[in-house]
Amino acid sequence: MISEEMDHSLSFSRRVRLKMHLAVCNLCQVYSKQLQMLRNLARSLGKENSQAIEKKTLSPDTKEKIQKYIKENN
Amino acid sequence: MSKETLDPEKWVENYADMLYRYTLVRVKDPDAADELVQATLFAALKSQHTFAGKSTEKTWLFGILKHKTMDHFRSTKKNINVDITDTDADRIQFDTTGHMTPSPNNWNVDPEKATENKELAQVLAKCMNGLSEKFHRLFVLKEIEGLSSEEICKEFNVKPTNLWVMLHRARNQLKLCMEANWLTKE
Repeated sequence: MISEEMDHSLSFSRRVRLKMHLAVCNLCQVYSKQLQMLRNLARSLGKENSQAIEKKTLSPDTKEKIQKYIKENN
Repeated sequence: MSKETLDPEKWVENYADMLYRYTLVRVKDPDAADELVQATLFAALKSQHTFAGKSTEKTWLFGILKHKTMDHFRSTKKNINVDITDTDADRIQFDTTGHMTPSPNNWNVDPEKATENKELAQVLAKCMNGLSEKFHRLFVLKEIEGLSSEEICKEFNVKPTNLWVMLHRARNQLKLCMEANWLTKE
């Protein structure tokens, strides 16, 4: 349910049940924190990654090949 | 211009890098991404007559790329449906009292501060590489690209419950991997 909550909002009653359970379940709190941390870490990785991907380009060889194919077949 | 038209001679110049980056986010292997862009533009050239001018040239090309990417996933048998043989992600179980077993280790890291920890980020990157292509893709789209569950379900034609199970498994797998590689070595 903790993991599920990260993907879409739970119904009101399930949300209340989750909160109540978390209040008494120490391990679940730990688990919840871990998932949150995974998400935060992933996002910070993602920022670096997207900067790296922004710089990536299709190889010149492939571009040339496609361009040539288009010229001949258009 | 009232009606959109196609200009294939300009496709490489205008869209090749854009299509390539879009594919790289979804496909781990750069060579496969390369081939997909090629296949997309070749197919587009052949089916120019199907372009009705209702969308932009760019949207139309991306539409073809999406289909090609799905075909790629299917042909590599990295299918999007829940695969019951993915058992290593299921090592986290619940006992009869409803508690997790094995118990989660306390990571002793403040979730807010974790993002400042470069070493930890590297461990996650490594662990993500260990995910199956399917899980990797879903995790990236959900947590990094920030797509909503609805968008992902639509793009890959999966049911919300399936998506949720797969994301849950991916997270558990990453969690176990991180515990094994870093967090317990304190």
